Amino acid sequence: MNDKNNPLLSVRNLTIHYITDDGLVKAVNDISFDLEKGKTLGLVGETGAGKTTAAFGIMNLVPDPPGKIISGEILINGKDILKLKKNESKKYRGKVASMILQDPMTALNPIITVGEQIAEVCRLHDKLSKADAYIKAAQMLELVGIPSDRIDEYPHQFSGGMKQRVVIAIALACNPQLLIADEPTTALDVTIQAQVLSLIGDLIKKYETSMILITHDLGVVTEICDKVAIMYAGQIVETGDLEAVYEHTKHPYTKGLFGSLPSLSAKAHRLNPIYGSMPDPTNLPNGCAFHPRCPNKMPACENRAPTNTELESGHFVRCLLYE
Amino acid sequence: MAKKKGQVRQIWRRLKKNRLSMFGLITLIIIVLAAIFADFIAPYPYDLQNYSVAKQFPSLEHPFGTDNYGRDIFSRVIYGTRVSLQIGFISLTAGALIGTIFGTVSGYFGGRTDTVIMRFTDILMSIPKVVLAIAIASTLGPGLVNAMIAVAISSIPNFARVARASTLTVRDQEYIEAARAIGAGNFRIIFRHILPNILAPIIVQATLGVGISIILAASLSFLGLGVEPPTPEWGAMLSAARTFIRDEWYMVLFPGLAIMLTVLALNLLGDGLRDALDPKLKT
Amino acid sequence: MYKLLEVKDLKKYYETKNGLLHAVDGVSFSIEEGKTLGVVGESGCGKSTLGRLVIRLIDATDGKIIFDGKDITNVKSKGSLRKEMQIIFQDPFSSLNPRMSVSQIIEEPLKIHKLYYNKAELRSKVRELMDTVGLACRLEDFYPHELDGGRRQRIGIARALALNPRFIVCDEPVSALDVSIQAQILNLMMDLQEERCFTYMFISHDLSVVKHISDEIMVMYLGLVVEKCKADELFEHTLHPYSKALLSVIPEAAIKKKKQKKLIQGEITSPINPKPGCRFAARCSYAGDICDKAAPELKEVTPDHYVSCHFVNEINSL
Repeated sequence: MNDKNNPLLSVRNLTIHYITDDGLVKAVNDISFDLEKGKTLGLVGETGAGKTTAAFGIMNLVPDPPGKIISGEILINGKDILKLKKNESKKYRGKVASMILQDPMTALNPIITVGEQIAEVCRLHDKLSKADAYIKAAQMLELVGIPSDRIDEYPHQFSGGMKQRVVIAIALACNPQLLIADEPTTALDVTIQAQVLSLIGDLIKKYETSMILITHDLGVVTEICDKVAIMYAGQIVETGDLEAVYEHTKHPYTKGLFGSLPSLSAKAHRLNPIYGSMPDPTNLPNGCAFHPRCPNKMPACENRAPTNTELESGHFVRCLLYE
Repeated sequence: MAKKKGQVRQIWRRLKKNRLSMFGLITLIIIVLAAIFADFIAPYPYDLQNYSVAKQFPSLEHPFGTDNYGRDIFSRVIYGTRVSLQIGFISLTAGALIGTIFGTVSGYFGGRTDTVIMRFTDILMSIPKVVLAIAIASTLGPGLVNAMIAVAISSIPNFARVARASTLTVRDQEYIEAARAIGAGNFRIIFRHILPNILAPIIVQATLGVGISIILAASLSFLGLGVEPPTPEWGAMLSAARTFIRDEWYMVLFPGLAIMLTVLALNLLGDGLRDALDPKLKT
Repeated sequence: MYKLLEVKDLKKYYETKNGLLHAVDGVSFSIEEGKTLGVVGESGCGKSTLGRLVIRLIDATDGKIIFDGKDITNVKSKGSLRKEMQIIFQDPFSSLNPRMSVSQIIEEPLKIHKLYYNKAELRSKVRELMDTVGLACRLEDFYPHELDGGRRQRIGIARALALNPRFIVCDEPVSALDVSIQAQILNLMMDLQEERCFTYMFISHDLSVVKHISDEIMVMYLGLVVEKCKADELFEHTLHPYSKALLSVIPEAAIKKKKQKKLIQGEITSPINPKPGCRFAARCSYAGDICDKAAPELKEVTPDHYVSCHFVNEINSL
């Protein structure tokens, strides 16, 4: 990934392992990507692909123990956040980067009013007075489409979609430069999902926030992302602009994902799923991690791990077929 | 079946990591061994009276000293292990069995059955355990068996509560519905699907409960409602020695320590088991 | 074709503290043998309750269920029903007893209904079932938590197949699975249907999955059917405003054609003591005065295409 006019975020060779009793879980293995200001990257992968661990890494929130950032750099505006001291790191979270979690039901404290929960972030990071923070909280609620007279209500008085709006308000309260949304709509119904996605899309455009959207849904990515990175077994196997990856799919895994999706437009007799299941992260296959499931397997795949290959500008694939 | 062992092995592996509960387990094993081999370990019979050596301070000959009848306290504590463990385990098993069945039935069927059983246990629970046990024991009269019955009855409500609460969470799991969908009857659902899944909290409750039962039995004996002399029971020994606590403190110390050590060992083990049996904890 | 299942005006109400919850409020449909009826709707629309009502896992408040020509609405002994009608659950984690091994789970229905003569036969039947759903025999002593979601769901399918049913309710069987695994399971279910002529009632919130597997689709909203027709017809000529909105907001994994989105405002209203009138009216952009007063009936608008909307003709200029 070449240096394109100083990206906001640039992740370099990030490797995160969990040290457990069952062995070494290689959750994230050598991932690198850039994200420019105001752009959105979709990080796509199935359960256990390491998407969430990567996100926690970028937030410098990997639980240690058992997690360990083995190597790599996470540069935000050129500064490596992994080298921050503990109190600096706290300031960085919320102010520079913030996160939206998957489950709005558990992300909010049930015994504190939504207004206070939003105000708390503002007081912590923007050092607002209590009264100012309250006003800011009301503004944030209006911004995410909740009437501000509901500011003194408790989370249980809100529906799932409304709660997720509150979570978004909290995440955006301090106007962060980077927003990480971890499956923000997975727990929601499709009509609500559409509302929340369009809300997030509008807000990040308005504030020129960069976003990493973590999802397992290739459809959701097309709604608001500019770039997409496909993860498999802790690695980014294919990344590029939306069009490059969706229209000129190269990696056999990505192709498999597309083949697995039932289409709304065409009637297929049967789907073309990927054979087998995800490898055990404590015991990844030698060579290319995808080779046991790969329809295009070559003898070399069992021994040699593929490296990142740039096919055209910005479109990278990790597969021996293209080396 | 080979895999069944695997599950037990997993639990054992998790338990082994917890040092405190391993200490509890080893202590408990020693205590149980002491109870089984009391005849070989104890230097004197527990009821051998020898007034010439009454109230002797601990010495090589009598490591824990002797009581006011000249009986060897060490031997009596060792033999007392038998009685105390017997009361503890038997009464608790009986209480656990009845309580678990009550609780499971109550939680599974709900409605009126639930109301009746739970109000009954509420009544039992509203009376302090010791008072309840005293009331039962004094009605039935003193004696080992009656003490056990008293202890068993007073431990029922705890188990009923724990079993009911666990049943309520398990009852709404999809696998219960799945069992119903393949035509399983209530009996099968309770014994095959619910009980195995609520066993963990009950085992923990039981481990912790044995300690409580031992203390309860000791209290009954202390009050003269439990084991009758000269049977050596820790609580009874404490009771008999309490008048000498000023000058011959060792007569109280060692049975007291025995109770404490046993209960502590059981509690440590119980805590460890609770963590080891939790299926949500990853292996 | 032979109508294997016929449901007439089925209702299920629950008493709650706040009033009567109309989970399923007068649903009628029929399924032909060997076909798949897809039931789509968002959470709270009553689709799961409907699935359980149909196979008599829960009792209906009112209505009629006719299976294979017999009225089973009030049948007391459900044993023989269980052999004919089965269910596959959504969550492959919670639908399997964590204390039972794979073979114990699969053999349980056979044991309950005493469908074997000796141990050896039981064992070979379990192996056969595992083979049918694509589970390796070496997994028979594993426990569910040692297996991944896809394999667990295969266990659930094997358990449902054990009694050799004719009708299977599939309650979101692939929603909890990753896409690549989801496709494997969908293919398996379709293969099984082809081989054994199963009749499916396939419940899902995912329209693309439902479209893929179903012959007919029923769209539900708050306990009611709003639209019912052949699968292709629903996508080619969507008539009800709710179905239209639902269809337009599905994120499709393609960037060529961006659909015009119809974001519907607001959220699903409460199914407790619903107001008279159309239940979708509060969120509907076409709603008129009549929608708040009278509930629309499910009418055949074009051949075999049923819609319940007062303005269906106006909206679609039919």
